[in-house]
Amino acid sequence: MFGFFKKRKSASVAKDRLTIAIMSDRDRTNGFPFMDEMKAEIMEVVKKYVGVRGVEIRKEVDGEMEALAIDVELEKKV
Amino acid sequence: MGIVIAVISGKGGVGKTTATANLGLGIAMNDKKCVVVDFDIGQRNLDMILGLENRVVYDMVQVMDGEATTKQALIKSKANENLHFLAASQTKDKSVLDSEKVEKLIAELKESFDFVILDAPAGIESGYEHTIEFADAAIVVVNPEVSSIRDADRAIGILDSKSAKVKKGEEVAKYLIINRIVADMVESGEMLKSDDILEILNIKILGKVPEDKGVIDASNQGKPVILDKKSIAGQAYARIAGRLCGQKVDMKNIEISDTGLFKKLAGMFR
Repeated sequence: MFGFFKKRKSASVAKDRLTIAIMSDRDRTNGFPFMDEMKAEIMEVVKKYVGVRGVEIRKEVDGEMEALAIDVELEKKV
Repeated sequence: MGIVIAVISGKGGVGKTTATANLGLGIAMNDKKCVVVDFDIGQRNLDMILGLENRVVYDMVQVMDGEATTKQALIKSKANENLHFLAASQTKDKSVLDSEKVEKLIAELKESFDFVILDAPAGIESGYEHTIEFADAAIVVVNPEVSSIRDADRAIGILDSKSAKVKKGEEVAKYLIINRIVADMVESGEMLKSDDILEILNIKILGKVPEDKGVIDASNQGKPVILDKKSIAGQAYARIAGRLCGQKVDMKNIEISDTGLFKKLAGMFR
């Protein structure tokens, strides 16, 4: 009898789900263009001075502030 | 010097090849010289939709490798002499493409055609990246359905980072075609509205194409649906082709069903 109030239209459910899924996709993958190129360049620069194993870059958003967190993993000393 | 447009989708099966064929023919019907190129290496399909599968002698990979000239490989459409077609290779795989060769081929086609339309492979692998690399603009084809829209967003993201134009600091134009819209479902809230899709993808609309059984009938025969003046999808493609050729064509609202008052009244008492 009160089905009208209970059931949300599926198109609006789809819109909400898509908005969230796409936002998280964008952050993870194309949140920052040229990510691979940038990683490679950073690695080249650091390599001039110390041995590098890998570079990891993340985009971090904290309220209004956006930052790039760059982790450089060094080669183990022998 | 022609304009290069890549037709992309992310997800397969949304009507990308059908859109490419119909827009190519529609542009040709507007008296512009147009070439459509199938970039879906290994999964040649545009030839079937255009009804030209028996005419393919040389493919675009052979042209890129210098085994055939562009002139030898170009096939003229039976439906309109302004439309030419370059087939994908059916035997090779997508890894045969490389940037330099693709750039050279596109540069050559741009010289002799007003429009160069590239039918991109589905997915976001290297074959896709090569299709979009040297495009001036992209047409994104989606269905009003979650997986198609999500995959389109990924494809757009790659376009924005791998396009040669973007790397030069310019912008690559992007437009959306929403294909297979069912008016009744949009009206009853069971299908996403165009405005919602545009908002989610943050993109401009190029055209809306309604669901139309005539599309399969047309592909059965190898005669693009735009040739069928009565088809509602064909009419939609004709409007989009007009817009691409610079005409001002109003956006028809195909998201309300045009059922008569009687049917509507009957529906109320169902």
